[in-house]
Amino acid sequence: MTVHAANYRDAGRAVTPSAWSRMWSQNAPGYLFLLPWFIGFFGLTLGPMVSSLYLSFTNFDLLTSPEWVGAANYVRIFTADPKFAKSMQVTFFFVIFSVPLKLAFALGVALLLNRGMRGLPLYRAVFYLPSLLGASVAIAVLWRTLFAGDGLVNDFLANFGIQGPSWISNPRFSLWTLIVLAVWQFGSPMIIFLAGLRSIPQDMYEAASLEGAGKWRVFWKITLPMLTPVLFFNAIIQTIEGFKSFTPAFIISGGTGNPVNSTLFYTLYLYQEAFEFFRMGYASALAWILLIIVALFTGFSFLTSKYWVHYDD
Amino acid sequence: MTFALDRRRFLMGSTALLGATALAPAAALAQENRLRLFFWGGQARADRTYAATDLYTKANPGTAFDGEFMAFSDYWTKLGTQVAGGNAPDILQMDYRYIVEYANRNAIAPLDDMVGKELDLSDFDQDQLDGGKVNGKLYGISLGANSVATIVNTAAFEEAGIAVPGPELSYADLPALAEKFNSANKRPGMKLWSDNSGVEPALDNWLRSKGKGLYGADGKPLFDENDLVEWFQLWADLRAAGVTVSPDDQALDATDAIENTMVTLGKATTTAANSNQLIAFQAVNKDPLTMIAYPRYKPGAGGGHYRKPSMFFSLGATSQKLSDGAKFINFFISDPDATKALGVERGIPCKKSTRDNIAPTLDAQSQIALNFVSNLGDLLGPLPPSPPANAGEVNKALKTKSQEVAFGSQSPQDAGPAFFKEVTEILSRK
Repeated sequence: MTVHAANYRDAGRAVTPSAWSRMWSQNAPGYLFLLPWFIGFFGLTLGPMVSSLYLSFTNFDLLTSPEWVGAANYVRIFTADPKFAKSMQVTFFFVIFSVPLKLAFALGVALLLNRGMRGLPLYRAVFYLPSLLGASVAIAVLWRTLFAGDGLVNDFLANFGIQGPSWISNPRFSLWTLIVLAVWQFGSPMIIFLAGLRSIPQDMYEAASLEGAGKWRVFWKITLPMLTPVLFFNAIIQTIEGFKSFTPAFIISGGTGNPVNSTLFYTLYLYQEAFEFFRMGYASALAWILLIIVALFTGFSFLTSKYWVHYDD
Repeated sequence: MTFALDRRRFLMGSTALLGATALAPAAALAQENRLRLFFWGGQARADRTYAATDLYTKANPGTAFDGEFMAFSDYWTKLGTQVAGGNAPDILQMDYRYIVEYANRNAIAPLDDMVGKELDLSDFDQDQLDGGKVNGKLYGISLGANSVATIVNTAAFEEAGIAVPGPELSYADLPALAEKFNSANKRPGMKLWSDNSGVEPALDNWLRSKGKGLYGADGKPLFDENDLVEWFQLWADLRAAGVTVSPDDQALDATDAIENTMVTLGKATTTAANSNQLIAFQAVNKDPLTMIAYPRYKPGAGGGHYRKPSMFFSLGATSQKLSDGAKFINFFISDPDATKALGVERGIPCKKSTRDNIAPTLDAQSQIALNFVSNLGDLLGPLPPSPPANAGEVNKALKTKSQEVAFGSQSPQDAGPAFFKEVTEILSRK
């Protein structure tokens, strides 16, 4: 903060060599503290991003050096790649269903927990647990076992005389098992909702109850509008997470995206192109398209946000 | 795995150092000769491999190994990355599917100059030697021959009172056999055959038995749309006749991992595999297993099988220790103790002297594998040319297409032409 202030004060003056050196000596510690981040950002994020942008215009199989092909990769993706279309369809389906379901579930649990019950920290921790474990390989393996033909889910259904299919290996259900897995990891949006609920001024509720408003009316007229900034934040984060989702599909389908490409997430297709078929250039192009799609989604959300997000001011 | 790797490195390093100090104190000061060895496989293979490297270190004090192993699919990612970084291992395991690609891009070294010097290949099987050649030059030394094989649960057959089929078995025999098995009903929920419509080697075998094959020397398909329609229809009929497992069950076997095969999961009495895998299959199956040939296209049609080099050792083209690497390969395929430790886990050894040496020491499964590969008779055909680039992707696409047919979203009549078009596109892609 002081560094910033000093910088600001210097800005108006003529910059002499001595001023430069004074500025440097004042700011050096700040930059020094930023150095680990700079190294990480330039070395591990920006550098690879720039080279991936370059590679997306080449054919590169790792063994021979990249060969410039212009926009050929992009042209093929948009005109002659059925797997691109399929993986887009799978990914959008996943995002469209998993994100709202997850948010609704997280909000529901947060509302329950917000009623000031005893042992709240314990419940909060327990409900958060799946999110900590959720993206891990172990849970994906567990999911595979639960939803297999002779898994626990079908054992349970058998009690009611229902003979369930093998959920994970049947193309009609496999993607839904992944959506259920995503919804189950509702912990992190729940915690944020809970914090948001806590920050709604109590006097609003008091006023509402004096006016004789019912529960639903309070929820729709006070809780939800007051919660929209948090909802907006959660929706954006979860949408991005949804587009990036990789591990569960990779583990559950053994990296294949099968049965019948029903779990061929976009990132999984990208991975296959890069690390199974060694088309690094093509995979880079796919990665940039994903980046642009996510950016468009986020940008669109921000543009529309002024019509439905109510900031407290 | 990392732990095993590190411990192994540490052990190998320390043993070498110990040996060197004991024998020649001066040698310990000299730079240690370390060879990087990289292969795919599981723990069983690693144990056998490291037993051989330890023996080599004992015989050649001062030489140590940095060994590393991983699963097949991860292996190629890692190897590709290392080669791209100019950091290829000294000795690497190579597959018949990839050897042409690696040789053509000069990622592995030609070995011809070392034959007769470091490499003694005097009683090496000619077909296995030729399998390691690309454009007339030798790039890989076959570590063993294997063949495709059907793994069979013998207990399930015995209980049903049916004899395990012999080499005369053809696809036409399967429905009758399945009816016998199903009516005995000793193992409810178990079917006779796994659904192999998506198994590329099974399609290859069937096509060869029909007088065709997958790919020619020019990398072009040797089959056409009609063959594929016939293939998908064959399996649709077997499915309808109750011979094979349900599509749901078959789809559990997503990656050919032995743990998820139909025989291991108890869904079928058989699974399509390779002859050298019997040892690994038996390790995770309680019922006794044996192996039989893939069924013939029709009674009397032979030539579907071939003795495939199951894997090679090649030398990284950038290695500074080509001569040492070649010496190690020679030791690996011929040393009496090392080859006994290795057994037939990588396939049937290609040197006659080695085969004679290890034959009396083999366990039951290895014995079955040796007999099977040695007695294929008229089922044995010539070694096909190594597959074209992108063949691995065709392999994947076949599995997906077979599921489309099995789950009923496409008929065999439509799937044949559709898949042929897909194959053509994949093969023509850079």
